[in-house]
Amino acid sequence: MAESDLYNGPLDPRTVVGFHHVELSYGGTKALDDVSFRVTNGEFVCITGPSGAGKSSILRLITMDAFPTAGQVIVRGMISTRMNRGSIPRLRREIGFVFQDFRLLEDRDVYENVAFAQLVVGIPGAEIKRNVMRVLTQVGLWQKRRQMPRTLSGGEQQRVAIARGVVNSPKILLADEPTGNLDPAVAQEIVDLLFEINDGGTCVVFSTHDHDIVRSFGRRVLLLEHGRLVSDEERRLGDRRKSRLTDGMYRPREEIEREARARETAAARQLEGE
Amino acid sequence: MFKPTQTAYILKESLAGFHRRKLTTGVTILIMGSALLVLSLFSIVTINIGALLDHARTGIDVRVFLDDAMDDVAASELHRHLSALPGVRQVAYVSKEQALVEFRRELGEETELLDAMEENPLPASFHVVLTEKAVDADRQREIADDMRRWPGVADVAFSEEWARLLDHWRSVFTTATLIIGLVVFIAAVFVISNTVKLTVAASARAVEIMKQVGATNAFIRTPFLVEGLLEGLCGGLFAMAVLIAAHAVLRPSIAGLIFFTPAQIAGFVVFCLGLGLLGSWAALHKYLRL
Ligand SMILES: Nc1ncnc2c1ncn2[C@@H]1O[C@H](COP(=O)(O)OP(=O)(O)OP(=O)(O)O)[C@@H](O)[C@H]1O
Ligand SMILES: [Mg+2]
Repeated sequence: MAESDLYNGPLDPRTVVGFHHVELSYGGTKALDDVSFRVTNGEFVCITGPSGAGKSSILRLITMDAFPTAGQVIVRGMISTRMNRGSIPRLRREIGFVFQDFRLLEDRDVYENVAFAQLVVGIPGAEIKRNVMRVLTQVGLWQKRRQMPRTLSGGEQQRVAIARGVVNSPKILLADEPTGNLDPAVAQEIVDLLFEINDGGTCVVFSTHDHDIVRSFGRRVLLLEHGRLVSDEERRLGDRRKSRLTDGMYRPREEIEREARARETAAARQLEGE
Repeated sequence: MFKPTQTAYILKESLAGFHRRKLTTGVTILIMGSALLVLSLFSIVTINIGALLDHARTGIDVRVFLDDAMDDVAASELHRHLSALPGVRQVAYVSKEQALVEFRRELGEETELLDAMEENPLPASFHVVLTEKAVDADRQREIADDMRRWPGVADVAFSEEWARLLDHWRSVFTTATLIIGLVVFIAAVFVISNTVKLTVAASARAVEIMKQVGATNAFIRTPFLVEGLLEGLCGGLFAMAVLIAAHAVLRPSIAGLIFFTPAQIAGFVVFCLGLGLLGSWAALHKYLRL
């Protein structure tokens, strides 16, 4: 049984991000047009396409910094069209974000930059220390924790930003052109770090306009052009799944969960049998 | 509402503006403090003028003119009645003859007209002095109306003009204080919102990161609100400190100077806190997009 068969519609609890016929217009121009895809737990997804194709727009929709003008975005069970604004902070605590230009706080050192993300959501002091140490060790910058951002190289600054992005143990890490400002060797290190984070179970959405890099990853690639999703490797596996995507949309959640569990046990049994 | 680490962060960040922009913050507090000082000076002057006017009014008297037909029994009964009226301090009887003597004295040289008269044309009267409590014009009118209803009273004359004049000056000063209060209010809110605006601008990236990692809007706003609150407090305390010092110096030389009561000082400080809060709220409303 193909792994994708374990999953059903976008309300499947394993669906981390679901886009359902999403359109996003800024004024008159459509930045995204009829975009549908689904990202499941622990996946590493690359979004690629030329400048202005709508990559950043997709990431903004995931953090509910923007809302679709048509269609629905579902992130960890929260539905864009039925979302109350007060629950957006709760959603964002499950999402880490890394930018092309790092966006570190220049007046705070490495440690404080990472701790900041924990501080402002109210994590107790002792826990902050433990978590910051863990992630700074992971990105290899614990030794430089007392340095100011401007004394670090671009690659190091991006590692700090990644540490900040994952310190709250998000379920999803969004990286918007994280390698855009880095030379190829350093870019590869950053990509490897993101793979490592993904191996730890965090779902990673990686956006870049560099189509060739992404090809070499051997991961799922969504290709955008002029706001349209022109190819999705998983979609090309078969149209069957595409129709499932829309079918599952309005089914009761309990039913979907029950089915997902049933499929899971069936799969486990099958594995045991082998 | 906020966790301990968050509260510590808020307190630290509220003082960030004071740290990073000592000059701007200092000037803000100074401008606001001076404006508040002007306002409190005017309030003090108004309070004291009010007290002076009240005091001046105690000299106001009422004349109750009597019918010539009134006999002594009726007159002494009226005397008792007038003395018992609330708001009356003192009642003195002025006979027809005394009235004529007084009138002659007032006229001075030109007494031929009076000499030509066969009969004394002046009525007898009661000279009524009001207490301080009865100083406002409305209360005086009540007293006069009460007196007029009494049989044998021909007319009541009281210094309505004078009372009106005093009321006029009081309202001029009260209005002036209110207008200055309004100007100070707007100026204070403006200067505070201006400095908080700078802090908002300087914190743009931190705000962006906070939003991104899921800090609540209330949490993001609070340090800015507290900054405005603190600036308002400092401005108010500055004005009060100067005023209290000035009062200590001047008190010996100005007898009867009335100063703010402790409750009024507390109210003034609360007012300054409100100004600070309003100033930062205005800045956030305009410059912080969440
Ligand atoms: N806030 C905005 N207001 C108006 N138009 C916008 C806004 N943000 C994005 N757009 C438009 O939407 C389209 C998609 O933008 P988006 O930033 O998603 O592209 P992108 O793929 O991330 O591009 P890049 O590779 O240059 O970052 C573009 O045409 C852009 O001009
Ligand atoms: Mg972009």
